[in-house]
Amino acid sequence: MKKSNVKKLNDIIDCDVHPHPSDYNVIKSYMSEPWRSRFNGNGKRGIYDNPIHVNRLDSVTPHGGYPCSDPSYMREQLLDEYGINYAILLPRAFATKYPSPDFATVVASAFNDWLADVWLDNNNEDGRCKGSITVAHQDPQAAAKEIDRWAGHPHMVQVMMDSGARAPFGQRQYYPIYEACERNGFPIALHPGTEGVGPNEIMTPGYPTTYIEWHTGLMLSFQAHLISFITEGVFERFPGLKLVLVEGGSAWLPPLLWRLDAEWKPLREEVPWVKKRPSEYILEHVRITSQPLENPDNREHLLQMFEMMDAKNILMFSSDYPHWDFDSPTRSFPKLPEELKKRIFFENARALYNLD
Amino acid sequence: MSAHVVASIDEVGVGQSKTVEIEGRSISVFNVNGEFYALRNVCPHQGAPVCSGSVGGMTVCREKNTGKLGEVEFIKKGEILRCPWHGWEFDIKTGKSIFDPDGCLVKTYKVTVGIMESEKALAQVETYPVTVNFNSIIVHT
Repeated sequence: MKKSNVKKLNDIIDCDVHPHPSDYNVIKSYMSEPWRSRFNGNGKRGIYDNPIHVNRLDSVTPHGGYPCSDPSYMREQLLDEYGINYAILLPRAFATKYPSPDFATVVASAFNDWLADVWLDNNNEDGRCKGSITVAHQDPQAAAKEIDRWAGHPHMVQVMMDSGARAPFGQRQYYPIYEACERNGFPIALHPGTEGVGPNEIMTPGYPTTYIEWHTGLMLSFQAHLISFITEGVFERFPGLKLVLVEGGSAWLPPLLWRLDAEWKPLREEVPWVKKRPSEYILEHVRITSQPLENPDNREHLLQMFEMMDAKNILMFSSDYPHWDFDSPTRSFPKLPEELKKRIFFENARALYNLD
Repeated sequence: MSAHVVASIDEVGVGQSKTVEIEGRSISVFNVNGEFYALRNVCPHQGAPVCSGSVGGMTVCREKNTGKLGEVEFIKKGEILRCPWHGWEFDIKTGKSIFDPDGCLVKTYKVTVGIMESEKALAQVETYPVTVNFNSIIVHT
């Protein structure tokens, strides 16, 4: 990182920041026909929209622009405000909401070109913005090509797909994506947002009634995918693959692994490719981001959860800026022992993404 | 306790607010249907500038009146402040949160409308006719 013009850095990597086009139609300029004319310029998922506000009300840019649409204002309000060294950018293309795999692939690709153009290759002299390659899992072969297209890019650090899906992610139809991730050294990140939207299954029995019900239940989607990754043996098939669970909660992890370990002892017979106790795959292959951090009244309980989940080695700080449920780097966590703090806020992500 | 003129009443219309710095603290004055209230501009949750949130009402169940949980009504229009970050609701008149009124609250300050003693003194030494503005919003911290 070039340190000139950068204010004080506090050794923080924010693993979930959401850049947004200044106008959704900007994305069209990265598409060719016939897609350009068909793209409807609507960034919403259509159902399960937050009834209060989607973005921090104070994140509108000084010129009245969309929250997190201006790289310079994002630096001012987030990176410089808190001394954040790097922001891992995850645009919300919602490419998986389209029933057409061709259209979905084009949308993902256009968002990647826009991200590189506006946030990574330009307006990024300090190199503090790192990008995620959006892929549409409707067409895993096309997704793999898209991943290869970005191989070697200096600021793309991972692949990202929506956790809204038509099948659990351990299944074989997704393997071209994991193969491409592994061969290019990219972790695969999951981010919620299209559960029950478009062709994707809902993670509950039937459709939730309200946003609060849907939003709280997003962790169920993550749990289902993680169980699938492990029981299908994905980490045995792709030993170099790293999985990043973003914004799906984290406190559920320990009891899930206890149960999975217990089930594996008698049922290993059914899944012989799961060669180790399920919980043993986590340290080597899985990282989990903090926001929205569970916040028990007794904050000591949270520290106990950190101990149980091995947060020291697998948890990575994220703020979700500029979204409404932003976690402040200075206010969302209880006081942590210095070493644990350093690992969660900096070292774990630094090692995963090979940052300096 | 000290008093601080923060605005004239014309500056803060109904439904509006004005944020000022008093002794190093960010404090906002709200006009709720012609009455003024002052709140500390810091959310007790994660420190957001709570007073830059949205002002509106709140939706509640009427079951105490009707016995029917499904009947909802929208009350306290213009009296509820929602934090700009996580959307927690606070009653502007009391600073108390809706979900835990006594456990989670924003600090409030006494507000009066009138003229400061210091302004009166200034008015008295003038030897020519002056118009004295008795419409200052004064926050007492």
